[in-house]
Amino acid sequence: MKYQLHPWLASNLWVLVALAIPAIFLIGALLYFTGWALAFSFTDLELVGRKAVNWSWVGFDNYARLFTRRGFLESLWTTTIFSFFSAIVGQSVLGFLLAATLRTQRSVLRGVIEATIMLGWLVPDIVAAFLWSATTAQTGLINNLIITPLGFEPVNFINEFALPVVIIANIWKGTAWSYLLFSAALDSVSREVVEAAKVDGATAFQRVWRVILPIIRPHIATNMLFITIWTFTYFPLIYALTGGGPGRQTEVLAIFLYKQSFMVGKLGYGSAISVAMLVIVGVLSLFYLRLLKEPK
Amino acid sequence: MAREVMDQDRPSRLTALALAFLALIWVSPFFWLMTNAIDPAATGQLEVPQSIGIDNFVQALSGSAGRQFVNSMLIAAGTATLTVVVAISAAYPLSRMRIPGRNAFLWALVLLRMLPATGVIVPMYFAAQAAGLLNMMGIVLALTILNLPFTLLLLKNFFDTVPIELEEAAYVEGASLWTILIKIVLPLSKAGIAVVWFFSFTGAWNEFLLPLIFSRTEAGFPMSIGLYSAFGRQGSIDYGFLAAFSIIYAAPAVGVYFLLRRNMNTGFAGVGVKG
Repeated sequence: MKYQLHPWLASNLWVLVALAIPAIFLIGALLYFTGWALAFSFTDLELVGRKAVNWSWVGFDNYARLFTRRGFLESLWTTTIFSFFSAIVGQSVLGFLLAATLRTQRSVLRGVIEATIMLGWLVPDIVAAFLWSATTAQTGLINNLIITPLGFEPVNFINEFALPVVIIANIWKGTAWSYLLFSAALDSVSREVVEAAKVDGATAFQRVWRVILPIIRPHIATNMLFITIWTFTYFPLIYALTGGGPGRQTEVLAIFLYKQSFMVGKLGYGSAISVAMLVIVGVLSLFYLRLLKEPK
Repeated sequence: MAREVMDQDRPSRLTALALAFLALIWVSPFFWLMTNAIDPAATGQLEVPQSIGIDNFVQALSGSAGRQFVNSMLIAAGTATLTVVVAISAAYPLSRMRIPGRNAFLWALVLLRMLPATGVIVPMYFAAQAAGLLNMMGIVLALTILNLPFTLLLLKNFFDTVPIELEEAAYVEGASLWTILIKIVLPLSKAGIAVVWFFSFTGAWNEFLLPLIFSRTEAGFPMSIGLYSAFGRQGSIDYGFLAAFSIIYAAPAVGVYFLLRRNMNTGFAGVGVKG
């Protein structure tokens, strides 16, 4: 380091180092915990009992168990369905359609929709869970306003249609992020280009598909990257709404991990699950980052 | 129909209808929440309140509910303050000294945190148990550790924008390191620090998983756990109380956003995230 340090810094070098110590310590802890999680996944460590103290190395047993025992693959499938429908189909597509239709409107409707999707996004997860639990309950809004007036018996939606309820609740909660991102993206598309395509005789569908979408492609990839990671590892809303049930219908990986670690108590197996989640999320991210970089 | 949807100047009646339907889906839970919260005799139905009063709110701020509010405040304010103080102290040297590979290191840390937090929860739980930190203090520490990479990166970028010439001038005038920090660097990055503080505050305020694992006694429950255990319970649910409780619980998180909406944009411009 031949760089000349500013004098007021050079004379206080030790003070500066001392200032950084707490942060270095905490960052060290983060790295240590991450490494530990990796190490745990090769042990049979348990939350309570004999194996909480006298644990031993078991090699790749926990990873083998991911594929041989029931549970992990089913949860992976549930997580995939949940992420695909709530993040990609729901939040992303709905967010785009809302951004595209609302941006030229100056109506009360736009204000109402914007304000409420933002509210949905900002309220704590557990408040959203409470709202949807109450809305879909046997005495809740949907039954009172739609099902009963039509002459049907009240339905307990969380028992009968757990996964769809959770998916809709997550769309309700998370669309604002995609909406904001796509609104900004559409603002960056110059009007001239779209007008030119119109003059050349492109239909509305062609204008969107051939002109606008290719231009905002980086935004789409960014959006996908973030919401996929978030949704794939999402825990609070689903857990508070259904607890993973009924049965294991809504047991996404995050809930499976939580239950295996803290209810069943198999911390080693739990760590293997989280490492597997990490790998899956990492691979997905690389895929989206490629999409982001690739020239059109 | 597709043509009309995208024909931006005259939205069709069908589009308007679809939008109205969506608005209804988004509005009705909030509307339900309001009517139940202001009705002391609420039953969880959507109806015109039979009476209007603030009994539910009073109830939601007293007794164990009141303590949960205080706990949440302590956890959120504690996490935000600790995060910001630790991050400021390290971000200034990081910004001013040329440590090789510091940016790559910070970005690597941030990427590490993008990965599921559930992953590090198991070792964190174990460490907290061994250290006797399965309480609010432990939650604050754990959240600070999880927040730190992103906060460090943000604050370092804010400090980078403070012109070094100002500090040079102050030094020539005889100011010490502390004077430079307190009189120049901190005031000039006030907006950024505020954003980071409130950001950590809302994050900790909304947090559910860590308190769920770390809170061992009911006296230590924050609002997220309190609300969860109240409506998850079988049997009769006091909807009016829970509605008021939800509104009080949601208010700080929502309020902070609108308070900082303008700063937020400048804050994120500082990170140089494209998107």
